[in-house]
Amino acid sequence: MPRRRLPKYALALPAWLWLIAFFIVPVAVVFWYSFGYKPGLFGSHANDVLSFDRYIEVLTPTFFKTFLNTLQIGVAGTLLCFLIGAPVAYWMALKAPAHLKGLLIALVLVPFWTNFLIRTIGWMIVLSPEGWVSQAFQALGFNPVSILYTRPAVLLGVVYNYLPLMILPLYVAFDRVGVVLREASKDLGASPLRTFTRVTFPLARPGIIVGVLLVYIPLMGDYITATVLGGAKGNMVGQMLASQFQTAQNWALGSAMAIMLILITVGSIAVMGGLIVLGTMPIRRRNRVRLQEVSV
Amino acid sequence: MTAALVGPGEGAFAAPDAPSAAQLGTATGSATGSATDSAPPEHRPRRTLLDRTLKIWAILIFAFLFTPIVVIVAYSFNTGRLLAAFTGFGFDSFGALFTKPVVRDAVLVSLKVGVVAAIFAALLGTFAGIALARRPGKWTYWFMGLLLLVAMTPEIVDAVALLPWLVFLGQDLGLGIFNNGIVRLVIGNSVFSIAVVTYLVRARLLGMPENLEEASADLYAPPMRTFRKVTLPLTMPAILAGLLLSFTFSLDDTIVASFVQVSGATPWPVYVLSAVHTGLRPEVAAVSSIMLVITLGALAVVGIVLKRAGDSSAEIASTMAGG
Repeated sequence: MPRRRLPKYALALPAWLWLIAFFIVPVAVVFWYSFGYKPGLFGSHANDVLSFDRYIEVLTPTFFKTFLNTLQIGVAGTLLCFLIGAPVAYWMALKAPAHLKGLLIALVLVPFWTNFLIRTIGWMIVLSPEGWVSQAFQALGFNPVSILYTRPAVLLGVVYNYLPLMILPLYVAFDRVGVVLREASKDLGASPLRTFTRVTFPLARPGIIVGVLLVYIPLMGDYITATVLGGAKGNMVGQMLASQFQTAQNWALGSAMAIMLILITVGSIAVMGGLIVLGTMPIRRRNRVRLQEVSV
Repeated sequence: MTAALVGPGEGAFAAPDAPSAAQLGTATGSATGSATDSAPPEHRPRRTLLDRTLKIWAILIFAFLFTPIVVIVAYSFNTGRLLAAFTGFGFDSFGALFTKPVVRDAVLVSLKVGVVAAIFAALLGTFAGIALARRPGKWTYWFMGLLLLVAMTPEIVDAVALLPWLVFLGQDLGLGIFNNGIVRLVIGNSVFSIAVVTYLVRARLLGMPENLEEASADLYAPPMRTFRKVTLPLTMPAILAGLLLSFTFSLDDTIVASFVQVSGATPWPVYVLSAVHTGLRPEVAAVSSIMLVITLGALAVVGIVLKRAGDSSAEIASTMAGG
């Protein structure tokens, strides 16, 4: 590494330029397109007149319904992933025998690394009218059920697809808490519940936040799950904005949808984060007072 | 199939802790486990009802996680015409890889793009990661912010952003290289992979003090030599992990690829996605099973490399989740 002449970031320059050329600039172009319009049947975009009209169009009920749908699936899916995944991660990190941990992680990583689309097609087979679920229902004397191409199917799909993304960071978080502090808490007379709420959970909190964000952000932009399990009727934003680029050829509107998706994702995270901070304020204040009593 | 792949990886995972057990292979894995059980190093409290419930829950969720994978592997032996309707058992569907040029070409495109994209991302990402760890400054915050932005942007937004941009570069500016199918796919895959490799390399080097590099410089090694003989070998496990992760990323990439691909260079997942609408045949499951084996093989190697480099299972878990 030449130490005198080159600037410090010289080695990072290729990556820097590449990311600007194929990430920053394209996304900026989409931002720019979102203020344009579709000039005619055969044009995809024009930017000679700039306006917020595309955003107003996105906010009309036709399109905004899909955004609300996506938000619902996003929040419900993330919550379900957390409720399902947290006990698993907790068990893996703190209760499972140590010599099995590597194997257990591998068992979470295999589904995570199986092609997203293929996993989803696996569910499509299970849920299809000829599939096991339907046959089980018929064997029990019910009518054949058609879960496929419904909202519950999409919800099942996203919970399944993003569950490893929740379990892995939570596992890391609980693993870092470790046994020592928990035993100390127990030795000092805390009940298991108290150990969990006062030692394990607060220490694992950063990992929990990471897990929730890792699931929520890609889930909001999901395209494949809804396409395969939700059928032709687009009920998530990813499909809707993809179709603006692929079939409708309305790049301006599609761009506005993409920007809106980012705004809604970031905005909803900010709102939820704020609500959680506000909601837990009384609890944290109470805990702080007690900690002072102990230290005095 | 998957169990067999995980098995040998597991044996190697245990290598640093119990070399003798690793030499004997996986069969002894359980024996080693029971040995530690019989001589517990810590006092083990009696298992409560809650612990047992947690365990049952975890087993159920693992079964849930493997359901569609088992289904895909099982249905790849379907001899029927349609994937979802299982009519008979046979190996016919695997033949499609050789008899159907469309299928074969799609797989070859995927593999080709995977290799090129991985090497490319590893190269750019390694340099960026070394610079971040060893030459920090104000620019580090900007660069890390950019990487965070890359990781946080939904893939579909990347996809719709790249399509018009590549069309502009290739057709409006007349840069022919951007009309090449393989180049487009590599570009599409590179952004995220570069971010991941950079992050892994940086994390690895930050975990190591600069002492060795300084010692090398003190012993009059020229900077290039220090770089080649000290910095690079120290970083190797992260580079290798990043390389293989990038390969699997691009093997799996469906969303960006389905936007930027040009006809004639359709990668495998995009072929499958288009088949979802027109009718899935058993060969989709068969070829996907083969691709799954390739992916898991690459990941087993990552796991072994990281374990050899002294990472804990938690560190490996976070690395393999993409940093």
